Amino acid sequence: MPDLVTPTHTTPALALTGVTYAYPTASGAALHDVSLNLACGEFALLAGRSASGKSTLLRAACGLVPHFHGGEIEGRIEVAGIDAIAAGPGELAAVVGYVAQDPETQVVSTTVSAEIELPLEMRGDPPASRARAVEEVALALAIPHLLDRAVDTLSGGELQRVALAAALVTRPRLVLLDEPTSQLDPVAGDELIWLLRRLNEEWGVTILLAEHRLERCLAAADRVITMSPGSVAFDGNPRDFLTWAQDSDTALETPAARLFSLVGIEPLPVGVRAARHTLAAPSSVERGGTDPLRTIFPFSSSGSRRQQPHVPPKKAREEGVRPPSPTALEVRDLWIELARDDTYRDVLRGIDLSVEGGERVALMGRNGAGKSTLLRTAAGLLNPVRGKLEAQHGIALLTQNPSDYLVRERVGDELAGEEGLAVLRVVGLEQAVDADPRDLSGGERQRLALAIALAGRMNGDALPGLVALDEPTRGMDRARKDDLVGLISDLAERGAGLLVATHDVEFAAAFAERVVLLGDGVVIADGPAREILSGGWYFATEVARVLDRPGVITPEQGAGALRQWSSEQR
Amino acid sequence: MRSPFAYTPRSGPLQAASPGAAVAYLGALVAVAFLYSNPIVLAATGLAAVLAGRLAGAGAAVRGALWMGLTLALLIVAVNAFVVGRGDTVLVRWGDLPWLSDIVTAEAIAAGAVLGLRAAVVMVVFAVYSACVDPDRVLRALRPLAGRSALTATLVSRLVPVAAADAARLRDAARLRGPAAAPVGKAPLARRLLAGSLDRAVDVAATLELRGYSLEAPRRSPGATFSGSRRTKRRFTRGVRGRRSRYDRRFYAIGLAVLAVAIAGKALGADGFSEYPATQIGADGSTLVVAAMVALSGLAPLRRRPRRARSAPASSRTASNSLPAGGGI
Repeated sequence: MPDLVTPTHTTPALALTGVTYAYPTASGAALHDVSLNLACGEFALLAGRSASGKSTLLRAACGLVPHFHGGEIEGRIEVAGIDAIAAGPGELAAVVGYVAQDPETQVVSTTVSAEIELPLEMRGDPPASRARAVEEVALALAIPHLLDRAVDTLSGGELQRVALAAALVTRPRLVLLDEPTSQLDPVAGDELIWLLRRLNEEWGVTILLAEHRLERCLAAADRVITMSPGSVAFDGNPRDFLTWAQDSDTALETPAARLFSLVGIEPLPVGVRAARHTLAAPSSVERGGTDPLRTIFPFSSSGSRRQQPHVPPKKAREEGVRPPSPTALEVRDLWIELARDDTYRDVLRGIDLSVEGGERVALMGRNGAGKSTLLRTAAGLLNPVRGKLEAQHGIALLTQNPSDYLVRERVGDELAGEEGLAVLRVVGLEQAVDADPRDLSGGERQRLALAIALAGRMNGDALPGLVALDEPTRGMDRARKDDLVGLISDLAERGAGLLVATHDVEFAAAFAERVVLLGDGVVIADGPAREILSGGWYFATEVARVLDRPGVITPEQGAGALRQWSSEQR
Repeated sequence: MRSPFAYTPRSGPLQAASPGAAVAYLGALVAVAFLYSNPIVLAATGLAAVLAGRLAGAGAAVRGALWMGLTLALLIVAVNAFVVGRGDTVLVRWGDLPWLSDIVTAEAIAAGAVLGLRAAVVMVVFAVYSACVDPDRVLRALRPLAGRSALTATLVSRLVPVAAADAARLRDAARLRGPAAAPVGKAPLARRLLAGSLDRAVDVAATLELRGYSLEAPRRSPGATFSGSRRTKRRFTRGVRGRRSRYDRRFYAIGLAVLAVAIAGKALGADGFSEYPATQIGADGSTLVVAAMVALSGLAPLRRRPRRARSAPASSRTASNSLPAGGGI
């Protein structure tokens, strides 16, 4: 009797054996003696710091390395039994789909339907089968309404879904994704991860996903592969990964795991559900003496929330430690209208907002809520159709792509003279005057771009009234985010109001004292970060979702609350 | 902000038509513009192009093309007036000037106006083409004929909007530089844009590789596939999205009719126009018939209202084009 399991399903989806690779102009290897096997139907998460080789590994798995990027390669790469080094990316396209970080450069057609259909057309599929495949993948990704839209009218999140659809339409056995959620709001990011999980479970698609925000996808993964400059540092299940990260690289810990580490609870949780389960389990009772969630942190927190008096944001600021500061930004009844296709629509609708000097404010909301529009208007790039906006002491805005600010080949040429040197000192780049901006790391480039925006707007050492940053953490690992938090705190201490548009709730919890939540052009919440980031499902930190306790949003705060409870029990 | 000339998917007949049918129709208008110098026929062709654009929902593209076309027409009129010194009706005489004529004549201005009108008409037709004909479908039609050219065209057609978005972002970043940062002139900005475009081109080319573009082009026509036995090999089946539009015949027929009328009119002397020494514009019956026929062809993209069924009872007639109560189709 023939074996019911076909040979294709016993062949690994991806097999690397002793792969060493160096880019053409690089001095060192980007991958060094990498060996791993990915079985069919696995959902693997590729973790690691920036520049650890995650993207190179994905490019090698889809054939772009070495066929497209050149360079020298040793070892063997097999994708679904096909020799990826001998075959090109075109031939591998039948078995592997690849979704890169920037969706804008991943679309090559004018309309969404043509974009999704292209790989099938290249394969020579008949039109009837192409039409069916396009329809089905559009339904699976919930984008049938986009099929007749022009690609240049789509938002970042919509483009990302279209790119994923184009990668999935050939029904590949392996899908590679390079930080697909970096431009998505928490809602769309979560939806995408669980959509991948569904594709993995229902279609048996093997997933290899590179991500920095591990808390978002660890619970969905079967396996974690961690890269540490150029080689595999860890390969195992998510729970073991957390234990490894606790000992070897704490920058890769998730907030919930860090909370447990700080308090000394084991096992470390791979997600919110596991964390709540562990805290409520009898073993936890034995360690702590009683069930912490059922006493101090009840599952249903509505009662405890009612006990917390609602503090209006203005009053909260007045009760804060900082003395009253001059207003950095004053927005009253602001309306902004922008064109889309042939119609105009109100992107901001009667916004009222005030930011004080020295205040650190996170501006959050779904994709398309109007965050960037508000910042661009404050910086004078857009004109309001109605309302008033005042930034009396000036504003410096750093847009989403810091490289747009860098046009010369020497840092000193971008910022010349004593004034330039002074602003480089503010961002800690005074040593890099002679460097080429392209040789700087991502974080340094961001600091340089910020220095360019600040140059000449400082009065001596005094900064402009408002420093605004638009999505500054795209593609950043936690270590770089921590550096950015330090820089933001430094700028705020010097008296500048900080207004930062971000989708990253953990980053917002780390730097912000106040959160303004936009929804479809209006302010839907404005209050202390501890209150806003602990009071919802999506715009809440992982620790807040685990403990469900008002005002507790970071691992340190969570650990403090658990320790306080523990001491009260004694 | 999107360019008004960028293709926008709409449900109009011109957008639904296959690229061949749309090109046949719009190409016929361009052919008339180049065949004829009679300003009445040219104006009628322009009217047809404007009507077609408006009916196809490409009003913004038509307005943009008219603005640019009329600006170009004025420039042509001015150049022709100053350079060509022919014609009986001298308006200005200003003596010897290098490279310029010593006189300005009414005939030179009229001749320039006809050239300018032709240029404006052609620009409007191309604007309607650009806004209403899906470039993906055009490239798909071209790919089996000229794979490499289609690849280049795909790269360029994708890079143009990406480069435009990059340029807008770079301009914004230049405006956001602090006053003490080195100012950014047009040259460094252009250099930066060029370098960025090369990076972008590499990314887009990588995506094309991943989509299998480097594979050999499919041998069959991409819009059709053979089905059945050897004897029935010439019968095609078509995919849902690739099938022929019900408007194709209309555009082919109107394009052919316009071309036929224009050629016949030309043979019968409908293109009566002479610039020099005195401007003469023919306005006989044949010219007016050609002009009227060409102008009417601008109604081709008009969407016909569905006819009511004659034999059905009144209640079902009124509901014949409504969705079912549940909204399902």
